[in-house]
This record gives sequence, structure tokens and C-alpha cells, in this order.
Amino acid sequence: MKNTKLELSVGIFVLLGLAAIAYLTIKFGMGSLMGGDTYMIETRFANAGGVHPGCSVLMSGVTVGRVEGVRMDPSDYSAIVTLRLTSGLHLPTDSMASVKTSGLIGDKYIALSPGADDAFLKPGARITMTESAVDLESLIGKMAFGSVDKEKENQDKGTTNAP
Amino acid sequence: MNSRPLLILMLLGSLLTIPRAICSPTEEADNRLKKAVGEVVAIAAHAPDRKTLSEQVKPVLEGILSFETMTRRAIGPGWRQFTPAQQQEATGLFTTLIIRTYTAKFTPGELPVETFKTASTPSPGRVEVPTTSSYNGSSYDVVYRLEESEGWKITDVVIEGVSMIANYRTQFDAEFTQGGANAVIKALNHSLSSSQ
Repeated sequence: MKNTKLELSVGIFVLLGLAAIAYLTIKFGMGSLMGGDTYMIETRFANAGGVHPGCSVLMSGVTVGRVEGVRMDPSDYSAIVTLRLTSGLHLPTDSMASVKTSGLIGDKYIALSPGADDAFLKPGARITMTESAVDLESLIGKMAFGSVDKEKENQDKGTTNAP
Repeated sequence: MNSRPLLILMLLGSLLTIPRAICSPTEEADNRLKKAVGEVVAIAAHAPDRKTLSEQVKPVLEGILSFETMTRRAIGPGWRQFTPAQQQEATGLFTTLIIRTYTAKFTPGELPVETFKTASTPSPGRVEVPTTSSYNGSSYDVVYRLEESEGWKITDVVIEGVSMIANYRTQFDAEFTQGGANAVIKALNHSLSSSQ
């Protein structure tokens, strides 16, 4: 009798655990954990390297949404990043989105910067004023090895000055 | 009465207007930018010093850059709390700052080489023209963002992935939070006096 009670308790506990996991999975999927209703907007980047679904969307350092998806626009090979934002956030139409990094080698996130327009972005609208991920390797390469044009110019000067 | 010459003239006239009519907004913006860049390079070719360049290039830049839009966007949400007089003053100061900042890089005798790449239309009324700009032996990736309002005008310049508007917005927002519109105007004045 005692064993039956114990087994029943364990069974109920496991079922509750599974129900909690299922609830959280559905909530995560709908983005409802951000507190209430949400809406989607799109952002267009020339380079969205490192951005993936689930990345944070911050404004003034506060999390206001998540990256819902990343895809490529085949018409101009740009990256379209879909953001899910809390419905209470009204973004002016000239707002900007930038791909930023937490620290030097940290995770990528999207930073939103509000503009000055009186009109606000509607759900499904697209932000085109964006800053792509800064290619650190390319910048370091330019600093370390110099520009090809500069080398070429120096060579030309050397050739011209040669007797 | 022979009406053939008149008909030929009318046909020629209509042929001349066709290219203008079929020119897409992207091409129109692209051509507008190329023309302005050409004018700036022509002025730079004959300018003996930075001051002369700054004075001569100003009318061309005022024609192609939308300084009012750029100032509004650079200041961000705080712009709505500026009085009309403060908005006008900030626009004037920002215009001078931009022209002075970019002519400060000018070296007499050196001419920039701008290589234009294929322009794109991220959304209706907006065109992005990526270019590679070579100057003084260095090469930079520069993207010009143009918008159509009273003709195509530049509203942002992205150099090596860094937006000019975003860069200034971060700075002006900090000033505005500390001291409002007056602090932004004071910061602009300070930047101008220190860059002289």
C-alpha cells in the first residue's frame, strides 16, 4: 500500500514536470516570455554575421525582444533579420538597428536606436537604416598589412624615382 | 505643304524624352550621386587649400545632402523637444561641422577615386549606393544612403560599416540626456571651435 502511494506521487511529479516543460516550450516558441503581446519587424543588413534566432534585441541596454529568424534576400543578397519585439515598444520610422558584440569576442546582439520621426513603424515594417557587423579581421588586416593601393602607390613612386 | 521635317523633329523629341522616362528610381539616384561626386572632385582638383575647398564645395553638398534630415536623425528622439529656433541653429552648426570634418582630410594635389558598385533599393523611396573610395593611398568601403524628398538626397554615409548618423546619435543622445537642447548646441559649438 505504501509503495503504491509512493509510486503514484512519483508519477504525478513526473507528469507535472513534463507539463511544465511543454508549457515553457510553447511559451518560448511564441515569445510570450518577454511579457505579453509581441509584434514582428524586419531589419535589412549587408552582413548579419553571428546573428542567429534567439539573439537578444536591446534598446538602451534593456532587452526589448529577440531575433526570430535570419534569411537572405535573393534579390540583392542582403540579410533580412526578423525581430520579435514587445508590443509596448513604439519605434519611430527613422530608428536604426546595429549588429553589436558583447565585449570583444562575446555574443552578437541587435541594438535599436530610436529616431526622431513622429510616425511609428507598423508590425511587419522594415528598418533599412542599419549598421552591419563590423568585420574586425578585415580591419586588423588593413592595419597590419596596409592597403594594397598604398603599396602599389609606393612601388610606383619608387619606380618613378629610380634613375 | 511638306510636313515631313516637323514629323521628324517630333519623333526626335520623343526619342530624347524616352530615356528620362524609363530611368528607374535607383538609376536616377545613382546618376544624381555620381554627378555630385564628379562636381566635388572637379572642385578639389583646383582648390589650393582646405578653406577654399570648404567654401566652394558647400553649395554642391547642400544640393546633394539633406542636412535637415541628417541633423534630425543624428539628434534622435530629443529633436522633438527642440524649439524651431534651436532646430534651425543645430542644423546650421551640424552642416558646418560635417563640411569641415570631411574637408579637413583634404590634401591639395591629391584626388579621390570613387568606384561605384551596383545600387540597390532596400525599400521604396530609398536607394543605397556602395562605393570604394581611394584617397591618399588608402581605400575605404563607403555606402551612400539616399532618400527621395524634393529629389534624391543623401541622408546617411556608412564608412567601413559605421554609420555617420548612428555615430553622432550616440554622442548627441548623451549630451541631450545631460542638459537638453542647449547642451547639444553647446557641444556642436565646442566641436566647431576645436576643429578650427
